[in-house]
Amino acid sequence: MEIPWDIILIQTVNGLVTGMILALVASGLTLIFGIMDVVNFAHGELFMLGAYMGVVVLTTTGNFWLALVIAVLIVALLGAAMQITTLRPLLGRDPLNTILATFGLSLVLQNYALWQFGPVARKIQEPFTGQFTLFYLQYPWYRIVIAVLSAAIITGLYLFLKYGRYGIWIRATTQDRVMAQAMGIPVPWVHTAVFAIGAGMAAASGVLFGPLVGVNHAMGLDWVLKAFIVVVVGGMGNLGGSIAAAIFISLLEAYASIWVSPSQAIIVSSIVLILTLLFRPTGLFVPTPK
Amino acid sequence: MSEDWKDQGWAKQFWYSGKTTRRRFIGTGAATAGALGATMLVPAPWRAAFGQAKPYKIGTLQPLSGAAASGGKTALVGTQMAVDRINKMGGINGRPIELLVADYESKPDVGRRKAEKLLVEDNIDAHQGGFLSNVCLACMPVFAEHKVVNLIGVCLDTTITTTKCDRYTFRTFDYAPSQAVGFAPYMTSKLGKRWHIVYADYAWGQSTKDAYAEQIKKQGGEVAGTTGIPLGTADMTPFLSKISGNFDGLFGIFFGRDGVTVANQAFDIGLTKKYKWAGDGAIAESTNIPAQGNKIEGFIGINRYIPVLDSPLNTPAHRKFFDDAVARLKQIDPSGPLPDRYVQSNYEAMNALKVGIEKSGFQGRADTPKLITALEGLEMKEGDDFPQGDKILRKEDHQAMLRQFIFEIKDGKHKIIEVIAASNVNYPAACSFT
Repeated sequence: MEIPWDIILIQTVNGLVTGMILALVASGLTLIFGIMDVVNFAHGELFMLGAYMGVVVLTTTGNFWLALVIAVLIVALLGAAMQITTLRPLLGRDPLNTILATFGLSLVLQNYALWQFGPVARKIQEPFTGQFTLFYLQYPWYRIVIAVLSAAIITGLYLFLKYGRYGIWIRATTQDRVMAQAMGIPVPWVHTAVFAIGAGMAAASGVLFGPLVGVNHAMGLDWVLKAFIVVVVGGMGNLGGSIAAAIFISLLEAYASIWVSPSQAIIVSSIVLILTLLFRPTGLFVPTPK
Repeated sequence: MSEDWKDQGWAKQFWYSGKTTRRRFIGTGAATAGALGATMLVPAPWRAAFGQAKPYKIGTLQPLSGAAASGGKTALVGTQMAVDRINKMGGINGRPIELLVADYESKPDVGRRKAEKLLVEDNIDAHQGGFLSNVCLACMPVFAEHKVVNLIGVCLDTTITTTKCDRYTFRTFDYAPSQAVGFAPYMTSKLGKRWHIVYADYAWGQSTKDAYAEQIKKQGGEVAGTTGIPLGTADMTPFLSKISGNFDGLFGIFFGRDGVTVANQAFDIGLTKKYKWAGDGAIAESTNIPAQGNKIEGFIGINRYIPVLDSPLNTPAHRKFFDDAVARLKQIDPSGPLPDRYVQSNYEAMNALKVGIEKSGFQGRADTPKLITALEGLEMKEGDDFPQGDKILRKEDHQAMLRQFIFEIKDGKHKIIEVIAASNVNYPAACSFT
């Protein structure tokens, strides 16, 4: 059988682009879980609200990049408010409480968006519409830009966590919450800041991805399930693992779709999840526990 | 009101004689409450005679939350418009409609449970609604089991009126086989002979794909390939990227947000420029066009309803429907969308139920066989009840035949290219009621 190199290369590009978008969505999710032990079921709705904020600001200002920045700030503030009012009172309780609370929040936010913005999908106009030739396809530059920007945002987060003063506070809180508190780190505010950062990252991915799909109240649903798979496969709370898992799963799906139907290709991520849970429940991209 | 009553004997005795004890007061109150209660329990015909007609209880299952909520909200506008108009005109046979709305959260299992509730607890007389085909298919046996008429409002899966048809379910709008009969000659003669079909990989998409494949072949065309994409796939590009080769046109079968996604992403990778771009009208519904922008320009589709006031839709009845729908849609969406086929088909399905009830003298569930007889072969005449146009509800499969519009999107608006008469979209019935 002849190997279709052109399709393989196209699917490599597709897998990397999709993987980077997924990584951006999943990194917010994994950050929140890693620091706070909160499985945030409302993450998809923060993604959706980010996109809607992008629509509103873009309509007002006509500037995509300004819309991206303002949407991130607004949703980050909203995330902080959500954490203070809903999740902070549940700190230390059974994790099931936070799961139920965030699930409730997701329903509230979804129905709020439907009520506020209505059922008609909205458009975010991409900042540029150029294409380049990739074998038999005209490939949009904007998709490449999304991947690059996602990588830049994730790198920024990594550098902040690694070298920033507050990033060190966050890492200290992850390692030992009680000791961090004893050292004078305001742990409750670290939690709030982390939730706000996670929400902001979800909003950024919503604005960046909005031009490809149209903005609607249910757009978060399509991403969040896969983001959860990525977080589990990458190792719960492991930022680097989530990024690797996002790219790994997206590439696998893209390659699988060369030979099987899309419906079968998307099963790949579920198979990877099941195998991970069976043979390496701590995640594929974390060191083997000693 | 005059104050004379205070001077009358009974009032003086009651209030001023000093004999209004707590016991008398409670006794009088109890008697009044008893009389009121008895009035409420009077049989319906008597109550009707006194101007308090018992309403027809009509249930409507709609996805008002979850993934399909956008469509469910607009579909409900159509049903509500029809109910309000019927009630404003004095109801059906003097009885108003009480609409019981149930949200099935875009999930088949919830749909089935809510259908049971409408039938068992709310005791509805008939049902009009449904949006997602998989939910309609899941609920049809429930309506059949309870022997209640079910007028579908949106579901387009072919099998609803073919292999899975039943005596209680009616579809007062089109289905894919008849649309394909109407559209395939245009596609193969004006756009090209070889087609690649890309479709939503679930009940409706699959059956619609089969219908078009059959008709394209019948017209001497060829289906070069098919690509089924699962519902709710946000990034379709990896799957669309595979589509290449020597064919003339790309035919899309998607609805709702998937329609927006496929239009945007097929355009982005140049597919809609390289090939002729056509498909089911659901891709370019008026509620999708704002999110598709200029990427849907030039799309050619077929639909039973498009929101234009050009001939033959320039009738007073359609204008009335159009204006009312626009005003109501504005209430649920500040962007002020134009009505789509979901508003139209729900509106007309409820009106078909009204005509059926009037014709049969239906009073309640016991009269369901009479209602079925009235609906079978029902001729729906263009007018205020049916602004889309004439249609006939076939007795053999409970499937309506109606005219279709082939349209193109130009400057973000629908333009009628060709009107196909109901007689030219006929597809043989393929249903046997058991």
